[in-house]
Amino acid sequence: MKHCLVVDDSRVVRTVAGRIVKDLSFEVSEASDGSEALRKCRERMPDAILLDWNMPVMNGLDFLRALRREENGNEPIVLFCTNENDTEHIMEAIRSGANEYIMKPFDAEIVESKFAGVGLV
Amino acid sequence: MNDSTFNEIADLALRETGQAFQASKRYLMEARLAAISRRESFATLDDLAHCLKARPNNRFKSEVAAALTDKLTRFFADPQMIEVLATHALPQRLAASKTGRLRVWCAGVSTGQEAYSLAMRLAELDSGPMRHAKVEIVATDVSADSLSVARNGVYGHFDVQKGLSIHRLMRYFTRQSSGEWLLNERLKSAVRFQPHNLLGEADKLGQFDVIICRNVLRGMGRPMQNIASSTLVNRLLPGGMIFTGPDEDLAVIHEGIVRSRDIRGAWERRQSHAKSAAA
Repeated sequence: MKHCLVVDDSRVVRTVAGRIVKDLSFEVSEASDGSEALRKCRERMPDAILLDWNMPVMNGLDFLRALRREENGNEPIVLFCTNENDTEHIMEAIRSGANEYIMKPFDAEIVESKFAGVGLV
Repeated sequence: MNDSTFNEIADLALRETGQAFQASKRYLMEARLAAISRRESFATLDDLAHCLKARPNNRFKSEVAAALTDKLTRFFADPQMIEVLATHALPQRLAASKTGRLRVWCAGVSTGQEAYSLAMRLAELDSGPMRHAKVEIVATDVSADSLSVARNGVYGHFDVQKGLSIHRLMRYFTRQSSGEWLLNERLKSAVRFQPHNLLGEADKLGQFDVIICRNVLRGMGRPMQNIASSTLVNRLLPGGMIFTGPDEDLAVIHEGIVRSRDIRGAWERRQSHAKSAAA
């Protein structure tokens, strides 16, 4: 079973996103900010990461840059999932190593379509 | 909506665009006519049906019929089909072409996503013979409203996230202050949109190397399927191909059609049939 880490400081978003990803037959774990996510990745590198941008302690972009410098840090497929919906943010994310980008609000169909597009399902 | 209203509107749909409404699809009829009914200030569909009878008006009748068609579509709804078209079907037609020009018809294109998906994929072919091919994409629909959306090329937050990768969104669209996304001019100009009813003549559209008609025939009544499929088949150049939706068996609908042996998912004219037709 593939493993997806859902990183968001909102418990509601983690729950909703987690449920959608579970329906795609993923094992799901959660982190509420970038530094917790980085710790979890060091313990066990996930196959996919659903990543919020604005979070306390360490934001999504800083996490992504740090992750890509980690050993095996290029392995996870990273999908941003954020309210930052303008072109500048999206381009910055892609430049920093994001594979996909989901603009909030999202629904199950969008998540499934994006997961399919990057070959996760 | 009472039974006679349902029957009258179902008859109208069948006559005008070939759409078949089963009695179990009342909710679908109501949903599809909600906007037009609101616009014309009808309290119920019974009033709308009454007006259609009392004051025959061809334009309003056509609008109602167009509103009843299936508009559901998305970018890269069938990514394999787009891939087969761009990397097999069209290159095969190009090899047989003397002019280097290819013509594609997207029939029943609704709000344009399918035609634009093909245009995007073709724009991404930066090596191989297709690079220099001139591909003309003609896209038709019976609904003027759908065609207007397609021509404007403005799509919503949810539309652009289903089927489109973020890379394609960045490459082909600009974000509007409204939060919607505008397709760039180069891609818009790659597709020519035109109103057309598949039950009518299509001679003016010319002939095509490839015709895409997905999930249109399946909503039609049987005799209308025959008329529409003949319209499509008559527009095929010799050796041309038709692509339909996955659950539309064109060979059952039209006896002159068989599965292509070379191209996955494509239909072509039965050989003997084509010869006798040409004789």
